[in-house]
Amino acid sequence: MTVRRLIFRAAAVGMFAAVATPAQAQWSTTYEQFYLPGSFNWEFRRNYPAADKLFNAFDYGHAILYERLYTQPNAPVADLEQKEYDFITRKLLRNPPRVPLEEAAIEVQYAKLAPEAKMMFDWAHLLHRQIYDVWADESLDLADKDRKVAELLAYYKKRPDLAFSSFPKNMELMEGQYYSTAFRDKYPKFNGLIWAYHWLQVGLYEPLVTGKNAAERQTGVVAAVARFWQMLEAPPSGMPTIMPMTAAVAPAFSARYPEAAIIFDNLHSMHDVISDILASPKVARNQKRADIMKAVSLYRDRTSFVMTQAEWLDMSNAMGVNNMGGTATNFLAALPTPTTERGAVHVHGATAAPGASAAPAEHVHAAPATPAAPAESEHVHGDAAAAPADTAKPMAGMNHDAMHAKAASADVMMPMLMRMLKDPAIRQRVNASPEMRRMMNAMIDEMPADHRPEMRKLLATRVVAPVKKPASKPAQKKPAPKKPAAKDPHAGMDHSTMKK
Amino acid sequence: MGPNTLRVRLRRLLIPALIVSTALASDTANAQTDYYNTDAGRPLQIEDAYATERYAFELKLTSFKLERASRGRYNLGMEPEIAYGLLPRTHVEIGLPIAHQDLGDGASRSGVAGLEVSAMHNLNAETRSLPALGIRGDLLFPVGGLGPDRTYASVKGMATRTLSVARFHLNGQYTFGDEPGTDAVAEGARWLGGIAVDKALPLKAILFAADFYARQPLHESEDVDYSTNVGFRYQTSPSFLLDAGIGRRLTGPERGWSLTFGTAYAFAIRSLIPVRASR
Repeated sequence: MTVRRLIFRAAAVGMFAAVATPAQAQWSTTYEQFYLPGSFNWEFRRNYPAADKLFNAFDYGHAILYERLYTQPNAPVADLEQKEYDFITRKLLRNPPRVPLEEAAIEVQYAKLAPEAKMMFDWAHLLHRQIYDVWADESLDLADKDRKVAELLAYYKKRPDLAFSSFPKNMELMEGQYYSTAFRDKYPKFNGLIWAYHWLQVGLYEPLVTGKNAAERQTGVVAAVARFWQMLEAPPSGMPTIMPMTAAVAPAFSARYPEAAIIFDNLHSMHDVISDILASPKVARNQKRADIMKAVSLYRDRTSFVMTQAEWLDMSNAMGVNNMGGTATNFLAALPTPTTERGAVHVHGATAAPGASAAPAEHVHAAPATPAAPAESEHVHGDAAAAPADTAKPMAGMNHDAMHAKAASADVMMPMLMRMLKDPAIRQRVNASPEMRRMMNAMIDEMPADHRPEMRKLLATRVVAPVKKPASKPAQKKPAPKKPAAKDPHAGMDHSTMKK
Repeated sequence: MGPNTLRVRLRRLLIPALIVSTALASDTANAQTDYYNTDAGRPLQIEDAYATERYAFELKLTSFKLERASRGRYNLGMEPEIAYGLLPRTHVEIGLPIAHQDLGDGASRSGVAGLEVSAMHNLNAETRSLPALGIRGDLLFPVGGLGPDRTYASVKGMATRTLSVARFHLNGQYTFGDEPGTDAVAEGARWLGGIAVDKALPLKAILFAADFYARQPLHESEDVDYSTNVGFRYQTSPSFLLDAGIGRRLTGPERGWSLTFGTAYAFAIRSLIPVRASR
């Protein structure tokens, strides 16, 4: 009887402790869903076992990174940059797991912090793997493959609570927030490893899609995997210096399935954002979940921080494929020479040096109303991350009262307007729209008289080089990078806008 | 029943089961199961608070339990089951327990020991402030020669809490209905409560686990008994799972040990998933 009573009491205490609800209980109803069944299931595993196993190991890299960043924020940098990196590259990648990993068993605390974000990653990784499967299935012809991929995308989007947006998100969402670049600044080598992962994850589609037969696909996949290993030979110099964009690394795949490519770019971009949130000391520990959830919401919606597909393609190419590790097929024996500093950020379509956006973003492009009509709806927002998804509507979401209050203070408005008008992209856009020009003139009229001439002069200054894509042009001029852009297919880009 | 007879009977049951297991374990499997999502009896009694993935079928054809009861008697149980993730965080399950019972003095009996139908719902995913919680309802119907003499309904609550060192599960179950007749062998319990702990080795896709629980048999005159199990779950391929365990009943008249072995195979049926390509 005594034992029984003891057990009951222990169980009751345990249950209570387990179920007790603190004041701000975090209730999540996210759930797992099986992958789409089909004859193609696990074909990639069967036909490309080495590459398939590598992806299992990649799951570990992401998971342990988040867990360490969240649970050991003050740990020595070497714990990740040296110890964990060495374990992954010398042991795990060389002897990868047989089956996809249960990441919740690795990122225990992170999974509890943001189960919704974890599930989004899982769902997108499933899409990744299922598309590999379709293209690894030699029994399907091209039309079948296209049909299957369309089906996979439809299935993926059946979970709007988990699906990344099919609209390309601009780099401001990833690099223009107050926490942006924290991870890459502190852990450049591990960050390079993650980008190398992402290079292979999107790059591997290219030989699958461009190979004319099974033998070519096999050769191409082997070559891409070998190129991945080559990137790790002298870290971090051989690794991508900026986030690999699918359209640049795997152009044939992206042309065939632009929606999938966009989803994967959004996926990889959010990977970086969460790394930054977890790594940034500017994000208080009790704020991490809120910022992750904000990012999660922005990456799912179809309105905020979006750009057109054409702009996404332009931006992907303008960033320079050589900075991303190069294309995944038809590459030379040597790794491509990057043209930017490691971890450079992409500001208004140009690439700037690490840390450039460490300060709160002042030139963050909030969302256009629709991807197709960005010109009239863009506005500048001091804390873009705080903007709800519906701020896509012109000026919606802005605190107009606060704006008027601030307008009364020339001290606040002056520097902001000056900076805005120094940006040729903004200037051109304002000048192109009579309504915006009228509003700008009205604001200048409210400025102190001694500043008005200078501002009017700035506004009247014409942009020397026409800006084709306003959302992707440089905001600031900085010294040019030291490295020559030899053999860079994008040698025509404005390297003078890259900050050191 | 002599040892030779038992061996022959075991062989008759185990060999076909192993053939089925081996066939399912081949690399042609096209589905995924999860060693981390535990089920009652596979191999522990205490389970986690998560349901089978939506749209997934989990087929457990080969779930064996061999018990060595008092005075060297052996009982063998097998429970083929299939679970289906019918709704978000919800699965339904149907099982057909089959038992072979050694009555001593060379006598034995075999047969179906009821039909189990259950539904499980996971209330929430685990977060920093809350464990994962789940509820489950079971119905055991009077089917088969060794089944109960009436239908029994049970409710169960489950909680799962994960710490960096290990994961913990609490279960509490209550069964409604009168005491069964004396011949029934279905292992119902008026109530059952217990705790389990498990530790995953994620890179090896293996989970080691142990539990301890107390149960009051449906026969109110019997004392509460206490049992413990240890075991593992091992993912052999993305779609195939093996589990095995050893248990010990610590108190009660049938004090003894038990061995469990099981396999699970997961799959989905395309026609049950309502999705069409958007272009």
